[in-house]
Formats: sequence, C-alpha cells, structure tokens
Amino acid sequence: MENDEKKYEDVINALKGLQEVKAPANFEADLQRRINSEKFSREEKKSFWQNIFVPAKLIPSLGLVAAAVVIFFVVDTNSEEMDNPFLIEPRVREDVFAVTELEEVQQKQEEVSKEKSLKKDEPLKKNEPVLEKRRDESGLRSSEDKMITGREKSGEVEGLLDEKDVPEDQDLNAGAYAAAESTIVDSIAAPQPITATVTSSELVTGQAITKEELNFRQVQLTEEEQNTVNELKIQQVQSVKKANKSQK
Amino acid sequence: MDIKLRELSDEELILELQKNNTEAAFNILVQRYKNPLTNFVFRFLGDYEACSDVVQETMIKVYRYKDSYSSVAKFSTWVYTITGNLARTEYRRQRRRNIFSINDYGEEHKTYDLPDESYRPDVITDSGIKDEIIQKALLKVKETYREAVILRDIQGMSYEEISEILGVNEGTVKSRINRGRAQLQELLKGIYKE
Repeated sequence: MENDEKKYEDVINALKGLQEVKAPANFEADLQRRINSEKFSREEKKSFWQNIFVPAKLIPSLGLVAAAVVIFFVVDTNSEEMDNPFLIEPRVREDVFAVTELEEVQQKQEEVSKEKSLKKDEPLKKNEPVLEKRRDESGLRSSEDKMITGREKSGEVEGLLDEKDVPEDQDLNAGAYAAAESTIVDSIAAPQPITATVTSSELVTGQAITKEELNFRQVQLTEEEQNTVNELKIQQVQSVKKANKSQK
Repeated sequence: MDIKLRELSDEELILELQKNNTEAAFNILVQRYKNPLTNFVFRFLGDYEACSDVVQETMIKVYRYKDSYSSVAKFSTWVYTITGNLARTEYRRQRRRNIFSINDYGEEHKTYDLPDESYRPDVITDSGIKDEIIQKALLKVKETYREAVILRDIQGMSYEEISEILGVNEGTVKSRINRGRAQLQELLKGIYKE
C-alpha cells in the first residue's frame, strides 16, 4: 500500500493541493426556504377534486370545448335521419300505372290469340310452298325453339316482359316497347314476318311466348300432298335453271 | 444552548434532532458538512450550481429522513452515502443530457462549467489554471474510480469509511483508488514535466 502511495505521489499531492470548494454564501438561507416550502406543501395537501381541476384556469376553456363537442354530435344539421327501410311505406310512383283489372287483360289476350289463329290458317291454305320452306328450315327452328325455351328459363324474355309498366289504353306498338319487340322478333321469327305482330302483342300484353303460340305448327302431310310438294319443288328448280340459262 | 450543541458530536446532534426535533442541531450539522460535501460533489460533477443543488438536496433528505438514521453507523458515512447517491444520479442525468445535446448540435458539449463566483478558490488563486486542469483530468476518470479517489485523496477518508460509503469491501476500494490514480497520472503527465 505504501508502494502505491509512493508510485502515485505526484497525483496524490496534486489532488491534496486542490483548493477546497466552499458552499455558496446563501446556502443555509436557501436550504431553510426549501425546507419550509416543503413543510408547507406537506401540510396543505390538495384534495382529490382539487387535483382533478388543476389548473383551474383551464376549466372554462375545457367546458367550452366539451359543449362544442356535444353540440357537434347531438345537433348535426347535415345528417339525415336513417329510417328502417322495412318500416317505411312504399312510395307511390305516379309515372307507373298498375294494372288492376285483370279481366280486361285476359279479354284482350283472347282476342289476340283468335287473330293469331286466323292469320295462321290463311297462309297454310294459300301458300303451300311456304310450308315446304318451313320444313326445310325445321332444323333451324328447333334450334331457335331451344333458344327461346332457354331464354324463358333464364328469365331473359321475362326480363323484357317485366318492363310492361304500360298503360292498358296505350298503343301496343308505341314507345320503347317497339324496340324490344323488334329485337325479339328478329332473333326468333325472322323468316316469318307474319308472326311479328303476334309476338309484339303478346309482349305488350305481358304474356310469355310459348312454343304453341308461335307460328311453327307442325303439319303432317299426306302422301298426295307430299307428291304435289315434290312436283312443285321440281318445277321451281326447273324454272330456276331455265332462268339461269336464259341469263347466260 | 447553541454553545452546548456545538460541543456535541455529529451523532449526538442527529440524535438530538431525532428526539427533540431541535432545529439548531440540524443547523450545526449543516454548517459542519456544507463545505466538505460541496467540495466532494464539485470534484465529482465539475458543475458548481449542480453541486450546490445536490448538497442542499442531501441536507433536505437528512432533515426529512432523520429518523431513518441508525446510531450504529457514523453520521459522516450516512451523509456521504446520501450525497454520493444523489451526485451519481445527477452525473448520469447530466451525461444523458449531454448525449442528447451532442446529437442535436453535432458538437461536443462540455460536461462542466466553472462558475464565475468570487468565493471560488480555484478561480481567484494563482494556481487556478492548474486546478482547472486537474479538475478536467479528474472528470475524465471513470465514475467509480473517481468517487473513490476523491473520497480518499481529497476528502482524506480512511479505506474503511470509503468502503462503507460505497458499499464495497476495502480491497475493491483500494483497487478502485489505484486505478483512478493511474488514470489521473496518465492524464496529468504534462503538468509533472513542467
């Protein structure tokens, strides 16, 4: 230990030679003041409510802010009252006329079906070659039938028919329904323009198009009729050939 | 009354304060310890204002917790232990603050500033510059070694007292003192050559 003291003699002397730092002159007065202030703060302990509402200067401003927040959330002028949609009565749409008398509609449907049947019979009697043509196009028809039934099932046609909010007295071929009518007729019965009026009436009256109502009735020909049809065919072919030759 | 109290030892005075709450006894203790404690804390921190605050805080704690003093230990040991703890806390707080200030300004901020007070002996004497150099060197010594060196070589305490104050055994105290001295010797080479 003595060796260490000798080893660091210079350091020890330098440290011992440092002048003593004294406390400031007002040390005791400051200390007394701090002790007294601590005593005072201990004696007057603030209550719970005082601690909550400190600093007191903030109370009015906090109250104002709270009031503003309450007003903002309670009296919100921009917000609409949200009613339960299940409890609201349905709104009356004046632009839409509801069909109330079903009897009139049914009568009209019957009239239309009668007209349709009449029109169907006439071309069969007068224009037999037309029937022949129809047979030739039977493949096409069957596919079209499938398309129609498919559409019926999928509700595509019904969707169009649902747009039947049309007044009863209104012209059947008028307005937007004419466009819908034309598109359906084009896709379904383009080879037979006769059916166009029928289908349009059906559309407007709101009846779904069934296979029977279309003008695609299947007719079983007798042998005699079949022979006459074949003869007519041959004649037509010959006449076409003659016409071609004459052109050449 | 005061004359009688002045004749009492530190331990007797604190007992008087404990039993009778005698303010005069406390004042005498303050008068006896204010300068040694200020010297100890200043050498440890290097900041006079901070050291004054630490010593005042020490005295307030002595007053407030007078009943926790046990007559088994020496009063000086007890009061130096409190002072050392507070000084260490303050030193760490200052160091944290300096780290932040370095980050903020990008330049080294000195950890001490000498007060411009007329009663400061290290300022008014001719050896003031030398004292300042030694103080700077002391502040560069590791915290634990510095405290032990100050208590031993500046405050003139025994190894036993220091071990009680620092709460370590005497061997550790001696080791710390020697290491602190070695660091100081390395730092103060220039002064010795002159």
